[in-house]
Amino acid sequence: MTSRSTPLTEFVGQRIRDLRVGYASGEGLSQEALAKALGKTGNTISRWETGTYKPTLDDLDQLARFFAVSILSFFPRDNSEDDNVAALLRTARQLDAADLEELSRYAEFRKARSLYAGGGRPAPGRKRKAQGDAD
Amino acid sequence: MTRTEYYSRMEFLAGEVRDRFGLSPERVTKRDFARIFRAEGVRLDRWRGPLKRLRGAYFNDDLGPTIMVNAALPDDPYIFTLGHELKHHLVDAGSVLSYCDASNESAMVEIGAEVFAAELLFSESAFRQQLDTLGVVPPNCTAEHLVHLKHRTQTTLSYSGLAKRTMRLGFAREGSLPNGGWRRIEDSLYPNPFRRRGVGARVLRHG
Repeated sequence: MTSRSTPLTEFVGQRIRDLRVGYASGEGLSQEALAKALGKTGNTISRWETGTYKPTLDDLDQLARFFAVSILSFFPRDNSEDDNVAALLRTARQLDAADLEELSRYAEFRKARSLYAGGGRPAPGRKRKAQGDAD
Repeated sequence: MTRTEYYSRMEFLAGEVRDRFGLSPERVTKRDFARIFRAEGVRLDRWRGPLKRLRGAYFNDDLGPTIMVNAALPDDPYIFTLGHELKHHLVDAGSVLSYCDASNESAMVEIGAEVFAAELLFSESAFRQQLDTLGVVPPNCTAEHLVHLKHRTQTTLSYSGLAKRTMRLGFAREGSLPNGGWRRIEDSLYPNPFRRRGVGARVLRHG
């Protein structure tokens, strides 16, 4: 997905770059290697990092899983969002650990979606069906 | 309110929802639920992340009412979960999060959601009528009867749901209906599949 560069897109791009460069305790990862792991092209990674392309929420979910971070870490925010998600999930502590982790990812994805709304305009052309979209 | 009163109320509520949205008493589809959720202002998310036992969840916080459903569920359990979560929206909206998995299925609000969903998908009175039409005499209902019933009605209530109800209402003795193997019985009676299969199991992965 492309967009005009916005402060949010630039923040997201810088965050992707920081995670890539700091990967494996600072050993880092090339753009090509990250692209291969995600099934993207090196150009896409480069354009995400420079804010030329705006990654979709699906892309951010994939990046979050790859780098083992919260999807919310791609957004400038205060800690209250983390607190809100944690408070929400306290009621679900009986869940199986793997399901609780996935429910937590979903809760963060939902929060990220609200933060991402209006952060850039969608690219022209075919619309991709996003994670979470209903039938 | 006793448990029995609460569950009766959930059945009544399911009837009200069916009337309000003009739903068939035997079959409620994904499209019907999409219409209900739109009218109720509920966002529906099909979640494709890996889930083990969690079927769905209902959130109601500052981001608005949202239902998450496990996209990997087959069609019937998927639709049942939509009914289950709809009950949380209509009845338990004061809670910020409700979820359904094996760990909380004995809680009254969760059983109430199961009762609501089963009644919404296939009303008990329509179910009794169908068994009567098939000539079922209690307690002699068999698995084959239920396959014929599903064939006739195209109900979206699962075989497991139909079997539980059949035994609860005394149309079959407890434990007399199988816990699984329905597909095999279905294939033996209807060699040409009578409904689409595997649609709910087709999971799109991101990336």
